[in-house]
Amino acid sequence: MSEGPLPRAAIPPDISVWDPLLRLTHWSFPLLIPAMWWTAETGKWGLHKRLGLVLLGLLVFRIVWGFAGPQTVRFGQFVKGPRAVRAYLRGDTGEGARTIGHSPLGGWSTVVLLGAMLLQASLGLFAGDPFDGTTGPLNGLVGTRLADAITDLHEAFFWAIAGLVALHLAAITFYAAKGDDLLSPMVGGSIPPVAGVAGIGAVPWAKGVIAAALAAGLALWLAYGAPPLT
Amino acid sequence: MLRMSALRLIAAAVVAAVPAACSGDGTADNAATNPASEVPPVIKERQENFKAIGAAFKSVRGELESDAPDFALIAAKAGDINARAQQIPNDFPALTGIDEGYDTEALAAIWEKPEEFKAAAAKLADESAKLATIAGEGSKDAVAAQAMAIGGACKGCHDQFRLDDEKK
Repeated sequence: MSEGPLPRAAIPPDISVWDPLLRLTHWSFPLLIPAMWWTAETGKWGLHKRLGLVLLGLLVFRIVWGFAGPQTVRFGQFVKGPRAVRAYLRGDTGEGARTIGHSPLGGWSTVVLLGAMLLQASLGLFAGDPFDGTTGPLNGLVGTRLADAITDLHEAFFWAIAGLVALHLAAITFYAAKGDDLLSPMVGGSIPPVAGVAGIGAVPWAKGVIAAALAAGLALWLAYGAPPLT
Repeated sequence: MLRMSALRLIAAAVVAAVPAACSGDGTADNAATNPASEVPPVIKERQENFKAIGAAFKSVRGELESDAPDFALIAAKAGDINARAQQIPNDFPALTGIDEGYDTEALAAIWEKPEEFKAAAAKLADESAKLATIAGEGSKDAVAAQAMAIGGACKGCHDQFRLDDEKK
């Protein structure tokens, strides 16, 4: 009898849930949102404007990725109708099969968070007063009164963003208390293996590069005041 | 499990940091950058004065966007700008600039070229006085042209004497 090592049982690999580009985009938000607040509080408007354009570019990337990215990041996959949301809230998970990615409720929270950030960044494009320091790159496209109203709204809407962020953190804490760890997969990208559940597969990197180039191009075009392209 | 608890710690830190960061007050920075002395109250006074000038000028430009501008309002705002412009040279005592470490955009040029600074303030006073007069005559085009002259006075002074906040 040979004393060789026993063949090891195959350990099933972790299930990939969130691709690296999605995670990079996600974690840029908790860095950039406080930075946007801080640069506004301290009047560092040049930096505020540049970071705002970066944030807008990341949001555009996230939206493009929502059509071109892997299964879990696609809007078509995670934006569910009211019936699915109600069923989820009742605790009725349908066939009982565990799925990966956003829950029907989480999907809507994603849409609202992205929409709120996109609105806020877009308002910033028009904000400011040309006779009083830095303005958003599209400030010249609107009149004095409209720019003034947009500036006030941009300032006030930060508190809506802060409220949504608080809700987001509270929800993650709530799920963590229930034993559902949402944070680790958003950091590491994967969850421990579950029988019968497949991950997102290979990341479409080429599409990722195209999406990033589109987003960067749009942000740069806006940074220059949206000049005519022809 | 170490990884898990580390992540919990990060989450807790984020939850704790958000309200802490939001409770900060921008005005506290004055003391932080110049702890040795009290912040001269004139810095806040002159900032309020400039904010009021900016708001008044914004009202003037806003009026000019309507088909029938309220010329009486424009004249009143021009008078307000005029009075506040005359206050400007009194609001910059020595050692209250950005070089002294205060939270201000007042460049050292104000004290290096005092005559030019006074002239820049006088230009705003002159142009706003003209606007008050012209507004009484009720021609929108003439008022709009004079409003742009005020804008030029703002910009001319900012270019020389105010820190460009685009660079901050």
